[in-house]
Amino acid sequence: MAIEISKMRNIGISAHIDSGKTTLTERILFYCEKIHAIHEVRGKDGVGATMDSMELERERGITIASASTNVTWKDHPINIIDTPGHVDFTIEVERSLRVLDGAVLVLCSVGGVQSQSITVDRQLNRYNVPFLAFINKADRTGANPYKVREQLREKLGHNAIMMQMPIGLEDKFEGLVDLVLMKAVYFDGPAGETLRYEDIPADMQAQADELHEELIDAVSMYSDELAEAYLEGEVTEDQIHEAVRAGVLRRELTPVFVGSAYKNKGVQTLLNAVLRYLPSPRQVSNTALDLDDNEAPVEVHSDDSAKTVALAFKLEDTNYGQLTYIRIYQGTVKKGDELFNTRSQKKFKVGRLIRMHANHMEDITEAPSGDIVALFGIDCASGDTFCHPDLNYSMTSMYVPNAVISLAIKPKDKKSADNMGKALNRFTKEDPTFRTHVDPESQETIIQGMGELHLDVYVERMRREYKAEVETGAPQVAYRETITQRADFNYTHKKQTGGSGQFGRVAGYIEPLQEGEYEFVNEIKGGVIPSEYIPSVDKGIQVALQKGPTIGFPIVGVRAAINDGSTHPVDSSDMAFQAAGLQAFRDAYKRAKPEILEPIMKVSVEGPTEYQGNVFASINQRRGIILSSNEDGAFSVVEAEVPLSEMFGYSTVLRSLTQGKAEYSMEFLKYGRVPKSIAEELVTKYQEERKAEAVRA
Amino acid sequence: MVKAELVKRSPLRILEKSIHGGVGKGNIGVIASRKGTGKTACLVHIATDQLFQNKHVIHVSFSGRTDHIVSWYEDIFGEIAKKRELDNAMTIHDEVIKNRVIMNFNQDGVTADQLLRSLRSLMTDGQFAADLIVVDGYDFERGQPDTLTAIKEFAAELDLEVWFSASIHRDDPRTDDHGVPVLLSPFEDSIGVLITLQPADEHVKLSLIKDHGNYVTEDLHLMLDAKSLLIAEEK
Repeated sequence: MAIEISKMRNIGISAHIDSGKTTLTERILFYCEKIHAIHEVRGKDGVGATMDSMELERERGITIASASTNVTWKDHPINIIDTPGHVDFTIEVERSLRVLDGAVLVLCSVGGVQSQSITVDRQLNRYNVPFLAFINKADRTGANPYKVREQLREKLGHNAIMMQMPIGLEDKFEGLVDLVLMKAVYFDGPAGETLRYEDIPADMQAQADELHEELIDAVSMYSDELAEAYLEGEVTEDQIHEAVRAGVLRRELTPVFVGSAYKNKGVQTLLNAVLRYLPSPRQVSNTALDLDDNEAPVEVHSDDSAKTVALAFKLEDTNYGQLTYIRIYQGTVKKGDELFNTRSQKKFKVGRLIRMHANHMEDITEAPSGDIVALFGIDCASGDTFCHPDLNYSMTSMYVPNAVISLAIKPKDKKSADNMGKALNRFTKEDPTFRTHVDPESQETIIQGMGELHLDVYVERMRREYKAEVETGAPQVAYRETITQRADFNYTHKKQTGGSGQFGRVAGYIEPLQEGEYEFVNEIKGGVIPSEYIPSVDKGIQVALQKGPTIGFPIVGVRAAINDGSTHPVDSSDMAFQAAGLQAFRDAYKRAKPEILEPIMKVSVEGPTEYQGNVFASINQRRGIILSSNEDGAFSVVEAEVPLSEMFGYSTVLRSLTQGKAEYSMEFLKYGRVPKSIAEELVTKYQEERKAEAVRA
Repeated sequence: MVKAELVKRSPLRILEKSIHGGVGKGNIGVIASRKGTGKTACLVHIATDQLFQNKHVIHVSFSGRTDHIVSWYEDIFGEIAKKRELDNAMTIHDEVIKNRVIMNFNQDGVTADQLLRSLRSLMTDGQFAADLIVVDGYDFERGQPDTLTAIKEFAAELDLEVWFSASIHRDDPRTDDHGVPVLLSPFEDSIGVLITLQPADEHVKLSLIKDHGNYVTEDLHLMLDAKSLLIAEEK
């Protein structure tokens, strides 16, 4: 089946958790006739929505992995990338945003713009994704799409324009008024599959006229043609559509659609809007970095005849091996093609080429530029770029934040140990924010990630998908050590134990470095240390930085400079200067007033105002600093900075404090100084551990 | 310049002197002017001056998004630090900014009771020992005298100073016999200190109208610098 790329849409559905995103996706699949029955996210039939392919997601009613699925609406192929809503999985969201050409921002009619909507909005901005807003759940008690529209304007600064108005709300939500067509739309049939157009109910005509005027007024600035026609009083529907589309593509207009996916209302009209207003891959420009030209940006064109450039944005483990989702930016991908992985610098052959539908896959022989497809049996990591062998491009590398939390895991038996290894190998490839290593001292396997829930989900996935039963230790915060004042050193490393000895003297200083983790400065004059030994000193210091003497965590924020030293004609060596650098640093470190740093999280708690006092108290108890609170009627959002070490188990505490009515999100903000009393505790604990280890040894 | 010196030399000391030591705990001060004259800048300068003295400030706003308010503080702090060549400005900034909480309300949706309940819960549950509350963007046209009385009582109970800004309509230059804008007349009993801002040639003048029970029309010899938006001595 040949695909017309100009008809294609690659869209994401971005939303706050629980705004009904998965239900919406489910309905889209249904109306596009990809699935034959509707299942609810937390359905009684135990089947669960089709997009939630992972069992775990099914159980929790949330979507974690961003599977891509292909549907067809009115002859237009649409690839839907289901994006997770939780901040703990932000890397997945960002990775999917990278490959989208447009998005639907789903908001809840009751909850409106919440902190996560703000995060998602920021991400859409960062990746320049044009989008539509869909205000879902108009059937819910307390639904008020107009208020949500106001919030889009006030909180997110969007030029939000109603494209539809609801007919009735809450349990009286019946249908919509299409403000372009100026007709009422009803969704008939058991699953709302038949659209019936009627005249606008008489009592709504005045308001509809007003909103129609407002719409035309707002969009006429994006089309001279429409502006002229408006003055002449002869506006056509197409002129309006064109103007809206222009506004959306410039990211200056947010058309607002209304509906209730759950009640089967407003989904088809939203799909029509996706076709009308969101761009095809042809209309989007993308840039890659040329690795042969010092990472100079080069534009890639959605052109089938050009040389292939594709990005692997998602890996999935299936029964048939690794499935790699790719977005083709330029050229085509054919079965049997030879492609070049620019990260590993290895060539490979395209074996099976797959188009993914929600729960089945279709073998294809060729995919055009702009398409999103999957490959089988390719060894790669997510984020890799595949090119025609003549090119050495990389799609913009994505920012990967440092891990802030770690957890020791131990397999319960031999079989689990094998499976755990497989699982970890897979997870680290899938998710660059998930890291693993074996602690050289304790021999424990350590996993690291972006938050408690992030690691929890992986431990759960190990158990369910890989049958690896593991015991977990207490979550460990990724502390850092640093210095607060300058200290000089002058250290001589000297060893004389028969044979050739070791000799190296280095002098210099260490001082706090404001920006960055480490800097080495060579201030040696007159070659008192031969230049070949300078890197050795640097290397020795870097070894010392890996494990600080205060509590055994990496040392950051240090500038080390050497300005003097001496050598021995026979005994000086690379080894000797490494040792000198290491010891000199440790010696100076003690005098540089070392300090412990801890990750500070930006925490946002939202819920009913009546529980605000409890939220304030809970933040205060956690050494948090309350930054702000925002109250809008009965709803409030509290923003705070809280040390990560105090946030363990917060979701449980918050639930019990607010009867489950508040929720929070957090993300890493910065490293901050640990207060003295807590630093002392950490030091004591570290020293006890070391003593215990010494006894064992 | 170090922080202590900066506090000592702040033009706000002149203001304090004129109003006999400041607004004082349990009292309300109001800065009134028409829109766009610099009330927010004045409030933020007053708040920042308190922060420099290691005091705690709650900034209540009805008008803006919190990020707008944050940038007001960043700007005013930056201007002061620049003007006075403050040593270790970043460290001091990070230190003092912890003592500020922004509370943003939608005036339509929030009653006076709810406002005070939220303030109280921040101060008690959140253990935030505020010394000063600044209230920006409160709409006196729609406000009730009772609300101000309740806030004054609250301030007395919790030992706080309160500063309000009040927007006077551009087309309503009317004042009562004491020089108080008519908009604020119903609230006069609760207002301890009233200062008005008047645009002069190239700057904005601060005039003292009410000083703790006394009506005066005193020129404070203070102005708002048009460029930095800082309160400054008149040259």
